[in-house]
Amino acid sequence: MVSLQDISKLIATIKSVSRYDFEDYSEKSFQRRVEKILMDNRINVTALIEKIKTNKDFLEKVVKDITVNTTELFRDPEIWTTLKHRILPRYKNNKSIFIWHSGCSSGQEVYSMLILLNEMGLFDKAKVFATDLNTDMLELAKKGVFRYRFNLGYFDNFDKVLRENPYNFEEKIDVPYSKYFDIDKAKDSITMKQFLRDKPIYRKHDLVNDKNIFYSKFDIIFCRNVIIYFNNKLQNKIIELFSNNLYKDGYLVLGAHESILGPVANSFERTKGLYKKKSF
Amino acid sequence: MLYKAVMIGGSAGSFQVVTKILASLPKNYPLPVFLCLHRLKHVRSGFVEALSIKAQLPVEEPNDKDHIKAGKIYLAPANYHMYIELGNKISLSTEEPINHSRPSIDLSFISAAYTYKNKMVGIILSGANKDGAYGLKKVKDSGGLTIVQDPKECQVKTMTTASMKLTQVDHVFSTNQIIDFLLKLN
Ligand SMILES: C[S@@+](CC[C@H](N)C(=O)[O-])C[C@H]1O[C@@H](n2cnc3c(N)ncnc32)[C@H](O)[C@@H]1O
Repeated sequence: MVSLQDISKLIATIKSVSRYDFEDYSEKSFQRRVEKILMDNRINVTALIEKIKTNKDFLEKVVKDITVNTTELFRDPEIWTTLKHRILPRYKNNKSIFIWHSGCSSGQEVYSMLILLNEMGLFDKAKVFATDLNTDMLELAKKGVFRYRFNLGYFDNFDKVLRENPYNFEEKIDVPYSKYFDIDKAKDSITMKQFLRDKPIYRKHDLVNDKNIFYSKFDIIFCRNVIIYFNNKLQNKIIELFSNNLYKDGYLVLGAHESILGPVANSFERTKGLYKKKSF
Repeated sequence: MLYKAVMIGGSAGSFQVVTKILASLPKNYPLPVFLCLHRLKHVRSGFVEALSIKAQLPVEEPNDKDHIKAGKIYLAPANYHMYIELGNKISLSTEEPINHSRPSIDLSFISAAYTYKNKMVGIILSGANKDGAYGLKKVKDSGGLTIVQDPKECQVKTMTTASMKLTQVDHVFSTNQIIDFLLKLN
């Protein structure tokens, strides 16, 4: 196991040669990512640190490899069902809906929301922004092509969210997959429709260093399964940022096992697994 | 007190054993108990509820950065790895499954061994893959106490025999012996 001392040295080195700062990442998962990088590159910590100092491309690659990018279409279907039946209908009469997906990874969360918006007749009003630290992921998100066989779970999730209504079991809604993506079993691919791919604005954004880079506040901010990789201090700082950039009565959507722990929790009201910005 | 935590690993098949163990732990049990159990695909929820029915202690799937408290049972949430951090906190991760497992018993045990050193008890129950064997070794290497459920009692022996192969475990116990042992820590 890499020692905490070596981890500190590595973090300090990265900080000294770049803007990236992993000081406030959760220790255990960071340590584990570093071990994986060492194994994959067949290199020891000392050599890793030296190479980072001199090789910019290598540094960028290491930073990307540190990030955990796992994601799904309609991850945690219950939360999407809540959004669909309980939250989004409130925006019926709005002129616009500003949405930010922070830590969007390869875009599955963004496509999930776009599909919901379209089903709810809110697609044209929505302004959708999506950011991540890892630019490789942003490129994948823009392409909107995902593996088919590996991701069969996407279809279960899709069915639960779009074809069932837990508030009215009688109702069976027929939403064909082909409305939103093309499946090619031979090529093992799921390709999102052009109109979905064209909608979001993707930008690189670092939650550690950057503030709101869009000249707008938001109605809904997604930041799911991102702050689990950060310690309490950084989590609080980021929630504060979101709080300041949400309209009152706006929603913050966190991951299924994330919560707000610091004093900034007082700015939110927890309803139905989402955090609603209080209006004072 | 000798120990600060108990961690138990097993798979969906050990559900009944786990239930029996939890049912026998009294209110005010002095240690936190971590459970890292593989689940059947598609059965993502309902586990906490099912375990809570029999247990006298509160059972919960923790949120990230929750403070660890004695007398609570923490079940690794479906589709997350669960780590024990320094500073008495839990953290979660969605990293890829390891040995086809998320939660990974190995990852939970490794992090607990690192944090609790010789102050923990690690227990491996019946299970269908090798996940947990390496983690239990780390517990032993860090001075913790290691227990494996007697393979004779297990419907599926892969997890327990793999653990015994990798580690000179301290005890091979039947379910009842495990329960007696845990009660003596009280
Ligand atoms: C596990 S993914 C979450 C994807 C999606 N939100 C979901 O829940 O399915 C975490 C993402 O956070 C990103 N991330 C990590 N550190 C970051 C930072 N400092 N700023 C912005 N994004 C970051 C990673 O690159 C990764 O894509």
